[in-house]
Amino acid sequence: MQYKSIKKEEWDKVLENLISSHAVYASICNEFGQDYEMVHPTNISQIVYNKPKPVTSLKSFFLPVKENVTSDRRTGKSWIIIGAPNCDIEGLSLLDEIYLDKDFNDPFYRKRREDTLLISADCFGTQEHCHCLSYGIKPYSAGKADLAVISLNGLIIFRVISVKGENFLKTIPEAISFDDKNTLSDIEKKQKETESLLTEANKGLPDYKATGKIVAEAKKETWEKYSSHCVSCGACATICPTCTCFLLIDKPGFEKVKQLDACQYPGFERVAGGEDALFRLHNRFRNRYMCKYVWKPEKFNSVACTGCGRCIEACIGKINKNELFRELA
Amino acid sequence: MRNDKNIYKPLRAKLTDVIEESPLIKTFVLVPEEEFAFRTGQFIELSVDGIGEAPFTPSSSPQVTDKLEVTVMKTGYMTEYMHNLKPGAYMGIRGPYGRGYPVEKFYDKEVLILGGGCGFAPIRSLLYNLIAVSDKLRKVTLCYGSKTPEDCIYKPYISVLRKTPKFEVLRSVDKASGNWNERVGVVTILLDDVKVDIKNSIAVVCGPPIMMKFGTRKLLEMGYPEHDVYLSMEKNMSCGLGKCGHCMMGKYFVCKDGPVFTYDEIKDQPNIWD
Repeated sequence: MQYKSIKKEEWDKVLENLISSHAVYASICNEFGQDYEMVHPTNISQIVYNKPKPVTSLKSFFLPVKENVTSDRRTGKSWIIIGAPNCDIEGLSLLDEIYLDKDFNDPFYRKRREDTLLISADCFGTQEHCHCLSYGIKPYSAGKADLAVISLNGLIIFRVISVKGENFLKTIPEAISFDDKNTLSDIEKKQKETESLLTEANKGLPDYKATGKIVAEAKKETWEKYSSHCVSCGACATICPTCTCFLLIDKPGFEKVKQLDACQYPGFERVAGGEDALFRLHNRFRNRYMCKYVWKPEKFNSVACTGCGRCIEACIGKINKNELFRELA
Repeated sequence: MRNDKNIYKPLRAKLTDVIEESPLIKTFVLVPEEEFAFRTGQFIELSVDGIGEAPFTPSSSPQVTDKLEVTVMKTGYMTEYMHNLKPGAYMGIRGPYGRGYPVEKFYDKEVLILGGGCGFAPIRSLLYNLIAVSDKLRKVTLCYGSKTPEDCIYKPYISVLRKTPKFEVLRSVDKASGNWNERVGVVTILLDDVKVDIKNSIAVVCGPPIMMKFGTRKLLEMGYPEHDVYLSMEKNMSCGLGKCGHCMMGKYFVCKDGPVFTYDEIKDQPNIWD
């Protein structure tokens, strides 16, 4: 792996320049919590580089909650997104399979993906519900982002992942090759520490494949029990980096507005004749688990759950999917 | 593959005629602003401007590309608007989508078709196609059921079919009235009257879910192998692109992987008859 580094003060100045030519977003931590926000001169100091994880996922950049998909495509500045944890980067793989498929390529999604430089951040530490490693996802990027960033010892260190990332760094003369073995060893040590924390916190949690078997075999009573606190708010699906279902809403002039939808909402599968396979709450609840751990894995190569834990954090009924899996493991 | 076409944008089509088929069913004749080709059994997303969009399988011949016909039962919000449209109005079309009937696989075989209610719509398109290739088929038998004689659709077309060599039509109604002189009972009773060489035959089923369920069951009892029973599935196909998730039937997107499946492809998937 090739690394480059830049002094933190110099990188902050680079950012001040970048925001005039790009729309730069970063993981910002302030009194409201930690989330992706647009970078401007006054919040550069609030950027957090290696702290997991923003409240929302990368999905919100590439699949807006609502957009007119019959209007002209987005124009304007290219995007730079800084500080995406690897779970979010991996989550984009499934979105790419669905939205960039060879038969029906979504031009809005594609344009956003092409116009975005993704700078991932290694997670040093974990949050309560993080369990990426249980599903085979490392807490640092090595393959799918353009760059990965580490903030250490007054330096911003970039791991170069893609040609796009490499070319971006070539435009920053202050970013120089970095091969300090002690620091690189420290980075590796921090990565391992995070992996240890994840392993310890998720003891007894089945892996992705085993989870699929558990979900497929779970009885109706399990779904009734765990859905008893579900209010069909759809927060789990909305916050999920890999839930991508949507509704097309017709507007005058044959215009169409694409709005994120969720199988947890009543009527999601209802047809005009009135039949609704997901009429009952426990069926809708089960549907989401079957989709993530059984059906999507059969159909796609990418995981449909990245182990980010956001669905657990977002649930107002305090439903913890991992309790269900542990119970049945 | 790079493709700059906007997959969400409909093609405008002018409504040139509305044919009343039954009290609840009308056929809409549409002339798209561009040539529009489809394979029989594929579906389109048809929109009423500003009101809504729904999936329909054209009921017209796939050999005709300058116009198409869609037969629609008034059953919900959008179809009610559709039924009030007059010739001259414009509608939106996206598609064609999905996997239609593999007509080439029917060659040298007898084709047994079981249809109910508005399920005759996709079947009529298939029949047009089968007539065009009838020299390659052994025989085509249509078993069609509706609730009452009044609900029987495509009456003129039935007469044409009955005069077409190699084609046979059997009909039933749940409740007879007037001078109905064909069978009375659910559509599956017609299968008792059919003489078919099952080993050299395939079956096609299209209709309301309950009819599909019992029709398929009866065909399997008759000895049809699961891979020779073709079903045109109905789900809430909203985008038609394998993306929106509304039509997921287990691992399948009905809109993209279907809507035509063989029974053995879908028998282990959930809620296939719901």
